[in-house]
Amino acid sequence: MKKRFLSVLLTGTLALSLTACGAAKEAAPAAEPAAETAEATEAAAPEGDTITLGLIGPMTGSLAVYGTHIQSGAELAIEQINADGGVKIGDKAYMLTTEVKDDQGDSTECLNSINALVSDGISLVIGSATSGCTSAITSVANSEGVCLITPSGTSDSLTTTMDYVFRTCFKDSFQGELAAKYAKDEGFSKIGIVYCSADTYSAGLRDAFTAAAGKLGLEIVAEESVASMAEVDYSNQFNKMVSAGAELVFTPFYYDVMGPYLVPQARQAGFSGVLLGADGVDNTETTIPDGMDLSVYNDVLFVNHYATELATSDVSSKFVTTYTDKYGETPNNFDALGYDAVLVYKAAMEKAGSADGAAVQAALADTSVVYDCASGTFSFDETGTPIKTGVLVGYSYEAGASEVTKTAIKVLSVE
Amino acid sequence: MKKENTAFRYLINLVAIIILMVVFVVLSFHSNNTLKLKVAPAVWQCCYLIIMAASLNLVLGYLGQLSLGHCGFMAVGAYTSALISLALQRAGFYTEKNSIQFAITLIISIVAAAVVAALIGVIVGIPALRLKGDYLAIITLGFGMIIVNLINNIPFCGQQGLAEGAASSALYANGLGFTNDEKQSFMWVGVLIVVLCMTTMVMFVRSKFGRVIRAIRDNEIATSATGNDISYYKILTFVFSAFFAGIAGALYSCANVSLATTSFAFTNGSILNSVFIVVTVVVGGMGSMTGSVIAAIGMFLLNYTIKNGSWVNALPEFLKNVFTYPMLVYSIALVIVILFRPKGIMGDKELSLFDIPGYPKRIASYFKNKKAAKEV
Amino acid sequence: MSTFMQFITTGLRLGSVYALIALGYTMVYGIIKLINFAHGDFIMVGGYTLFFTIPAFMKLGLPGWAAVFIAIIVCAVVGMLVELLAYRPVRKRGNNLTSLITAIAMSFILENLAQAIPAIGPDPRVPYMLFNNDIKIGSFSISVATLITIVVSAIIMIGLYQFTQKTKIGRAMRCVSEDKQAAVLMGINVNKVIIITFAIGAGLAAVAALMYIAQYPKVTTTMGATLGIYAFVSAVLGGIGSLPGAMLGGIIIGIVQSGTSTYISSSMADTFVYLILIVVLMVKPAGILGKNIGEKV
Repeated sequence: MKKRFLSVLLTGTLALSLTACGAAKEAAPAAEPAAETAEATEAAAPEGDTITLGLIGPMTGSLAVYGTHIQSGAELAIEQINADGGVKIGDKAYMLTTEVKDDQGDSTECLNSINALVSDGISLVIGSATSGCTSAITSVANSEGVCLITPSGTSDSLTTTMDYVFRTCFKDSFQGELAAKYAKDEGFSKIGIVYCSADTYSAGLRDAFTAAAGKLGLEIVAEESVASMAEVDYSNQFNKMVSAGAELVFTPFYYDVMGPYLVPQARQAGFSGVLLGADGVDNTETTIPDGMDLSVYNDVLFVNHYATELATSDVSSKFVTTYTDKYGETPNNFDALGYDAVLVYKAAMEKAGSADGAAVQAALADTSVVYDCASGTFSFDETGTPIKTGVLVGYSYEAGASEVTKTAIKVLSVE
Repeated sequence: MKKENTAFRYLINLVAIIILMVVFVVLSFHSNNTLKLKVAPAVWQCCYLIIMAASLNLVLGYLGQLSLGHCGFMAVGAYTSALISLALQRAGFYTEKNSIQFAITLIISIVAAAVVAALIGVIVGIPALRLKGDYLAIITLGFGMIIVNLINNIPFCGQQGLAEGAASSALYANGLGFTNDEKQSFMWVGVLIVVLCMTTMVMFVRSKFGRVIRAIRDNEIATSATGNDISYYKILTFVFSAFFAGIAGALYSCANVSLATTSFAFTNGSILNSVFIVVTVVVGGMGSMTGSVIAAIGMFLLNYTIKNGSWVNALPEFLKNVFTYPMLVYSIALVIVILFRPKGIMGDKELSLFDIPGYPKRIASYFKNKKAAKEV
Repeated sequence: MSTFMQFITTGLRLGSVYALIALGYTMVYGIIKLINFAHGDFIMVGGYTLFFTIPAFMKLGLPGWAAVFIAIIVCAVVGMLVELLAYRPVRKRGNNLTSLITAIAMSFILENLAQAIPAIGPDPRVPYMLFNNDIKIGSFSISVATLITIVVSAIIMIGLYQFTQKTKIGRAMRCVSEDKQAAVLMGINVNKVIIITFAIGAGLAAVAALMYIAQYPKVTTTMGATLGIYAFVSAVLGGIGSLPGAMLGGIIIGIVQSGTSTYISSSMADTFVYLILIVVLMVKPAGILGKNIGEKV
């Protein structure tokens, strides 16, 4: 009996001390306990001095990297807004704060999260990270009159029938179209596709790209897929691309796959053409292993929301510098999109003059408003998807340099 | 045990079930925000978790075989029922959830889900004739993986089919997927299905079949020597278990407006996966149906309150940081339960309403015995 | 490179890693009959240790791979802690299934603890790329890392075999594996044997982590789950408790995965891996090289 208690005690203290020291470091100034503020907003938002934004995302588990980045982007935005005097509704300024819910990348947990937020009286929610989770909660947002901005749910159908659902990212069909158009303009005739069949982001982009390529008359000579985003080996797929004679391969994957696995393995399998990806490819430079032959990263291109050197406003560059100062690493797209979701809410609340769900929804639904954000300047279309221009960004490596360089090549648009 | 005693027990259970149903029917027609946002979704989630745990208990607790792919059957049930309901809705068979047509659709979907899952259960049951223990466990794990992998690759029901594309919103609006309001007003339906399933399973376990199955668990050779066809009973148990997992799958697609195959994987971030169903059964007590029910509800509440409970906010700051990792707390709680109740909460006993008045006495005597044992 | 050659190289590359992991898995399973779900997470611990120590070693002018010795120590300590704090108390009171659940819980605890530490965090990390060249023979090219992995696996396999056959503690391990009660009567300290088994198993996981990151240079906190399952499947396929079986099983799984993605459908690789497993086990229930011994659960 004694030993059992002892072992429980030891495991417990070990776990507690490790997490406690870990989480203590993470706790950002903006992440003050949301308990009291939640009660404050419950009565009616404009009564208290703070407005609580709900934030749902996978904070732990295998997709934690998406959720935690959305959170750090959103918290940076909140910190900056609060430092600048908060959100001005009428003649009163309100501070922003967040109530974070962890959905662990599971749709049931995501549903529980939004229900809990709604019953806490929160009417402005950011989330969730994946299209699968977001599709489980859009209906709740609509029926309960709660605004929902998904920072990274790219699936086309998320916003189409739901008035209360908006997003700050591209939708799949838009990016797919841009990529296909680029391939057409540059005169590539033999196109290959490598994608992940079990991932909504990857498969959604593949569908959009295939559809656009069909319209533009591009020939898709080979198409290969992997069964999960945790797949480590892409050599066989690229060997087939080589034997099919593909000149350009569309690779809708995330940077954590591109840097260490896909690009080097594609080159090793003898593929020397262009690798064209979507916004998930951004930040590949952070996942290149030391000791890797950097010349393999030549001709890796991707469609992105913004490029700091092409930015029309200074919001993007301000975001990049402040983020780097605060967290000590370069921001990725999830950071930028989470940051933008907060900026959009701020603008909409100030326009509506209220933090009420229905009023903010009406403000967001106004398609004439232009939002100046980290991921570019945009306004919403009727469905709630931003109309953005895409930027084509590419990686290149010059012999002798110590790292690859990322340069904006040109602005892409559908027309 | 005396005859009238048994009849009395049945009477008590019947009364309890009637009271339970009345409570839920009343709750279903009561309008309240907490009820709608918190209780109703929780009841639906508990419904399928209970059926999953109890149906796995048939294989794990009564037949004594470890199955690591139970969620595969649930996936089959969920996708079957979702597709059927979606097809009927597209065909214009029903438009409103509050109609007799939808009731028929619901029944058809649930029965079809159960039957298709049971057919798959036959396929999984066959290896069980030849393999046992950890080897069977890995085979069932394999089957679970294959089912998920195949669903991912079927064009009309992969992640693209129902979680994505135009179908996802269609499933919400008119398919099986219930909104919060509907979840509340149909709460009693979920509870009724659970009561029916549990009654059938308890009857199965207590029947001649159940006795033979337990005999196989305890001594296979002796059971076959007494003239029982072991193969038949083993496959029967697998089929029966898969049948109910299929029903749980149908309930899952009622409770969720969109489906994704990751929810039915071997492990994933949440508590609905094959591994955690095994955990629920063992924590509840292998061979105890009431134990499975208690464990399913308990595990759900633990998981739910770690994330959404207000008591977490009352904790000291450093503990609150620990609770941002729900799986960590959950796992530590599991180890503690296993350490102190290695046979599960109920062991292989059943909780009987008839016995409850006697419990305080028994607990007191338990501690007395323990004290006496220590003094000696 | 021809499609066939590519398929073989990729198969060997994946298979060699599975084989190396499966050796550690089968070793622990062989002694205490516990599906150690936390084994994959020992690899994660090893991977992160290497991520931090390889650059440090190279700064000191030492060869990068020598960092594996630090990783072995870290993993062995973690393995022994897990055994001491969780498995041993549960084993005393529970049965096989309760041990299995403890293993699952430990796996979650390790994963989540790793996520909670900011230096590790949820972000993926890319360690230094070791052994990053290819050997070309005609049109056939194979990476040095793959060759080293196969050689290391073979050496470890032979070493472990000799260890269990020749040394006193190795023989004690076999005795515990056969019959725990009898082992106690023979004067063997069963707890000591088991904790040494865990230390060795976890140490092997560190070696596997080195070879894994040399070929697939990325570490994440959840990397252990998939790797662990594949390793377990390899060990079962080859015959659990059999060291050559684990190696054979690993290579077969790698080749089947690669073959499916080359010749059938790349997103169906999992289905075929498990189909092969099911077919093999139906024909030969103890695995390819396993001895058919009585039922254990």
